[in-house]
Amino acid sequence: MIGQFIDGPLWTFSLTVFLIGVVWRIAAILMAGKRPDLATPKGSAGAGALRAVFSRFLPERTVTTQGRLPLIAGYLFHLGLFALLFFAQPHIDFIAEKITGLSWPAMPHWAFIVAAEFAFAGLILLWLHRILHPVTRLLSDLDDHIGAVLVFLVMLTGCLALAQAFEPLRLIHLLSAELLLIYFPFSKLMHAFTFVMSRSYTGATMGRKGVNA
Amino acid sequence: MIRPKILQFDDGDGRSAGWLLLLLILYSLPLDTIAKEPISKDLPAAAVLNPAAELWRDVRQRDQPTTGSTQVRGVDSGVLINAYGDQWRKFRMQQLIPVGGYALMGIVIALAVFYLMRGKVPIEGSESDKKLPRYSTYERMIHWFMASIFLFLAITGLILLFGRPVLIPMLGKEAFSILASACKEGHNLIGPLFLFALILVFSQFVRRNIYQKGDLNWLLKGGGIVGKKHVSSNFFNMGEKTMFWMLVFVGAVIVISGLVLVFPLFGQGREWMELAHVGHAIGALLMIGVIIGHIYIGTIGMQGAIEGMKTGYCDLNWAKEHHDLWAGRAEERGEALSNEEVAQLTHNHPLPSSLGVRTQEAGK
Amino acid sequence: MSEPFDQGVQVLRQQIDAGISAYFSSCVHCGLCAEACLFYTETDNPRYTPIHKLEPMKKLWRREHTFWGKLGALLGLSEPLTEADFSEWETLVYDSCTLCGRCSMVCPVGNDITDMIRKQREGFSAAGYAPEGMKEATRRALEIGSPMGVTYATLKAALAHVEKDTGLNVPVDRQGADYMTLFSSMEVVNFPEYIAAITRIFHAAGVSWTISSEAFEATNSGIQIGNKDAAAELVNRVVTAAEKLGVKSVISPECGHAYMAIRWEGPNLIDRAYPFEVVHILELLDQLKAEGRLRLASKENTPMTLHDPCQIVRRGGVIQPPRELLNSVAEHFIEMKDHGVMNWCCGGGGGVSANERAEPLRLQAFNRKKQQLDESGVDTMVTACANCRIILEEGIEHNEMDTAVISLTELIADHLLEGGKEN
Repeated sequence: MIGQFIDGPLWTFSLTVFLIGVVWRIAAILMAGKRPDLATPKGSAGAGALRAVFSRFLPERTVTTQGRLPLIAGYLFHLGLFALLFFAQPHIDFIAEKITGLSWPAMPHWAFIVAAEFAFAGLILLWLHRILHPVTRLLSDLDDHIGAVLVFLVMLTGCLALAQAFEPLRLIHLLSAELLLIYFPFSKLMHAFTFVMSRSYTGATMGRKGVNA
Repeated sequence: MIRPKILQFDDGDGRSAGWLLLLLILYSLPLDTIAKEPISKDLPAAAVLNPAAELWRDVRQRDQPTTGSTQVRGVDSGVLINAYGDQWRKFRMQQLIPVGGYALMGIVIALAVFYLMRGKVPIEGSESDKKLPRYSTYERMIHWFMASIFLFLAITGLILLFGRPVLIPMLGKEAFSILASACKEGHNLIGPLFLFALILVFSQFVRRNIYQKGDLNWLLKGGGIVGKKHVSSNFFNMGEKTMFWMLVFVGAVIVISGLVLVFPLFGQGREWMELAHVGHAIGALLMIGVIIGHIYIGTIGMQGAIEGMKTGYCDLNWAKEHHDLWAGRAEERGEALSNEEVAQLTHNHPLPSSLGVRTQEAGK
Repeated sequence: MSEPFDQGVQVLRQQIDAGISAYFSSCVHCGLCAEACLFYTETDNPRYTPIHKLEPMKKLWRREHTFWGKLGALLGLSEPLTEADFSEWETLVYDSCTLCGRCSMVCPVGNDITDMIRKQREGFSAAGYAPEGMKEATRRALEIGSPMGVTYATLKAALAHVEKDTGLNVPVDRQGADYMTLFSSMEVVNFPEYIAAITRIFHAAGVSWTISSEAFEATNSGIQIGNKDAAAELVNRVVTAAEKLGVKSVISPECGHAYMAIRWEGPNLIDRAYPFEVVHILELLDQLKAEGRLRLASKENTPMTLHDPCQIVRRGGVIQPPRELLNSVAEHFIEMKDHGVMNWCCGGGGGVSANERAEPLRLQAFNRKKQQLDESGVDTMVTACANCRIILEEGIEHNEMDTAVISLTELIADHLLEGGKEN
């Protein structure tokens, strides 16, 4: 049956593609290498890298004076999605059952609702910003839209399956999540991992120069 | 105790000719799926004195205070049977669903007839070579945010309301139960975002929607719909302003009643929920009707109407024809831009030739 | 396909290292970098969005480093990098980017967009798609020794004037001096006051210094046009001269990109660490002041503000010294909004000042600086870069503003306590 396929082999396949793909992408970047910097440093590269990884979670004032809504939407979406992904009871149960065997406390139902509202509002606003603002409109390519649509589908099907009473709804949610996992390593969604590398490289360069970036 | 008055009328005896007409159409159509009541056909015709009748009446608490006393703590826990539930159910099945359904169909048919008569309203002076900035990116974002939320809620809400008579015959009960569950969860979860959208839209657009001198004139001339002459108007015309205020007030009713329905945290009992449901449904059907008209104008109804909301800029001639008072002032302020300038600001457009490679002066 | 084009693509290919790959992988096209770029904020043209200027390099990266790109190339579906891409992007890469580095500070995923453009220029210049003005400047730097065509004879004449004006001896080719000083051509030609200023300061502070007749030029057109061979050659001249004279340190002049070239890019360009130290003149002055060797008298009463040269402050890390120094000679030092590492560029860095066709755009971009100045309400702007100075003065003249631009080193020299008495 299609249900068993989605629950079994397709899940294993998509998780494998995701894991191997992500590791492969990160390894490919690292293996491209970076020449060592021979200039006498003024500050520490390591400290600069560490600093940048965290400091870039907060925006510079230059970008906060223009277009606050996309910034707020960015926070709403990322924080909401993170909370939903890792702290919703059904997800914790699923991860415990299918992947790690470990479970941790879930967030209360009200927090779940709030996180879902945040994530939906954020994603819709961000995507609207993408297609309406002249800059993002010019920059965006197919990959950006596919990524946004897939994440939206996963969130939507998840929210439609909230009653946890109908197997088909759960399977649709799982199927869309599997599609997302398969697409993930081949797309811009990789930024969820590579942002640490980008921030570190820049932070290290700037750290050596004694600039807090 | 508050007795919801709206639940007390028990049949739709038309009060005006319009109602009567609508009801005539309504009753002339096969509606057995809607009106079919799950009353047992085997009920004995003769009125036999039922020994349990007395008890039954007491339990329903027709003539006594609605709440009894109980150890169970909770809203409505002292109520054995809600006396108004049946009235509410009848209203939903016999009035709300058929009347609402045909009203929406009526709007669509009316618009189709209007379109066949008038066609797409063109820009009379045809498109000009200049544009006026009309909506900022932020304004367009919140408009389309509101639009996407509204559409999602309207579709899921309509499925929930009309699913039984319309979709069950098409999909079957099992498939519909899945769809209904999905719609219910989705509608409840996304619902609160409508409040967020409403606040954003209200605070951004309220100033331009305050009624001004000249608005009444627009109304008296029928907004240019009746007859072919354009009527003077400001940034928003009387019709748009009215739609805005309907959105604000009817929207507030929808939001409040929706919150009452979805969050049973405020101590509201079933009667309040029934009242909220009626307000929610009527308000939503009203707004859906209005928005169908809004979408009609934006898409097939009028040339150039959606441009401002799509690109941020509207055609100068369109602005002069439909919002002449605003267009005149904006043009005086020197806001008009050539189509080329707008293309550069909004799209992937080549750089002006002064910066192009061809102007490279060799050797300097 | 022509040969320079193939070479350009090949050079561009070599630029794609782990950093560039991580940057392209991380960019989610959020567009925030646009708000940091003065070419975008002053024109509202989305094409000036910093990351958009990297489309050619991104195209190559996509095709050769991503799954979809490789698949597309295999099936012949995706278009390779073309000569048209180079020609279409040339103005974006050279005219509308001063390598100021603001975008690199705001990118939420931490991309060093400035470094990406710096690297992309390597490919563009190899393919022959660079502004004539910059090509010429690089040619003159390699052939004559200075992008402006300044020879040692010109410098010698300027030094004679300085010696006459100050009554001090300017040491040339002095073996075993502590410091070897470099100049930018612009200082030799337009601002010889700078040479006089350091002559007097070094004399008063008792600094052992010299000028090399073989390598006095600090500017490096190679790092601006993006030609690492030319850049390495120019750096090598300085390193050879410094090693020959056996100096302990080389002093970078006020000029911004000269500091970037000799201090940060230099060792990587010539592939070895220096046997000497490189200091910026402001770092040295700050150090002399801290050691009590640089004594200053009296303070300016005019309110003053500081224009941070991008390559010295944001990209160079000399952030506090100019502030310490200015505070010691100015009673009313007022910081601009967005000062320090987030200050706005003058609009003429990264070779834009050497690129004539960029002038109208550069003057438009200057509006950002004008607005900053208007907000600060100060009429005297101190800076520490000869190129910034020229560009700022042009902008001020173009806008008919009443603002004075002065060099920090010269300002310090004006307040020097020489032989116990104020100058």
